[in-house]
Amino acid sequence: MPETSAAPRRPFDWFALLAVAVTAAAYVRAIWFTPPEMLQGYAQKILYVHAPSAWVAFLAFGLTALAGAFWLFLRDPRLDRFAESSAEVGVVFTTAVLVSGPLWAKPIWGTWWTWDARLTLTLFLWFVYLGYLVLRGVIPERDARARLSAVLGILGALLVPFIHLSVYLFRTMHPMPVVANPDGFQMPPVMVKTFFFAFFAFTLLYAALVRARYAFATDRDALEATLDATPDGGR
Amino acid sequence: MPDNAIYYQMAYAATIVLYAGYALTIRIRRRALERRAARAARAARAAQAERTAVPPSSP
Repeated sequence: MPETSAAPRRPFDWFALLAVAVTAAAYVRAIWFTPPEMLQGYAQKILYVHAPSAWVAFLAFGLTALAGAFWLFLRDPRLDRFAESSAEVGVVFTTAVLVSGPLWAKPIWGTWWTWDARLTLTLFLWFVYLGYLVLRGVIPERDARARLSAVLGILGALLVPFIHLSVYLFRTMHPMPVVANPDGFQMPPVMVKTFFFAFFAFTLLYAALVRARYAFATDRDALEATLDATPDGGR
Repeated sequence: MPDNAIYYQMAYAATIVLYAGYALTIRIRRRALERRAARAARAARAAQAERTAVPPSSP
């Protein structure tokens, strides 16, 4: 039994278990039940973790910006906690993009990295949100922390449409979208199904991770409020 | 078909480690928070007991 109500033990998270199971199923389907592509070989299977991770990263930063914008008007601490949680999970998914991308580029392009518009902008996005998390860590005052990080969260998310459109705006090595393409799906149906299933699974994983991170932030803030209220700061 | 399965195996392994590792950091931070809350509660109880203790009567 917990000794304080500030950080209670939470019941088992069935939603997290569901997200893990669906994500595991997406990996299994991609590895064993989806054929490799003829020209690229097995390396093409990186698509099923690379593109969904990028989608989730964009979703996470978009929601971070939205929550930050609403916080600036409503000053609701729940919005700040959500923005913090979503940004942190977004950084994790962007890291996955930046790790899986070079592993795909090496066998196909012959190089791990190139200073191509989409790759470079994605790296910038990762740095901006890493800076966002560092900023949150160094400002002790709650209102100032929420205000500054809301502004940075909004500005950082402005990179997202540029990254998405970079393959159209710049001369780039990165391929055009294979699914969100004006000419229709550029893959066989079995690959398209795996692709969309992975998108669904990773979105569910994002929701579960943000949920867990948000619960942690809620309990941490409750404990800090309790400690602030005690005369000796809980020492 | 080119023989490059090792790259996709490495990418899948890296993403699994990354996502599982991140979930683990949330769990570790949560445990640390619970310990901190327990310490604060003990300190609060000790302070309360000290305040309510009856001072020894002088001879």
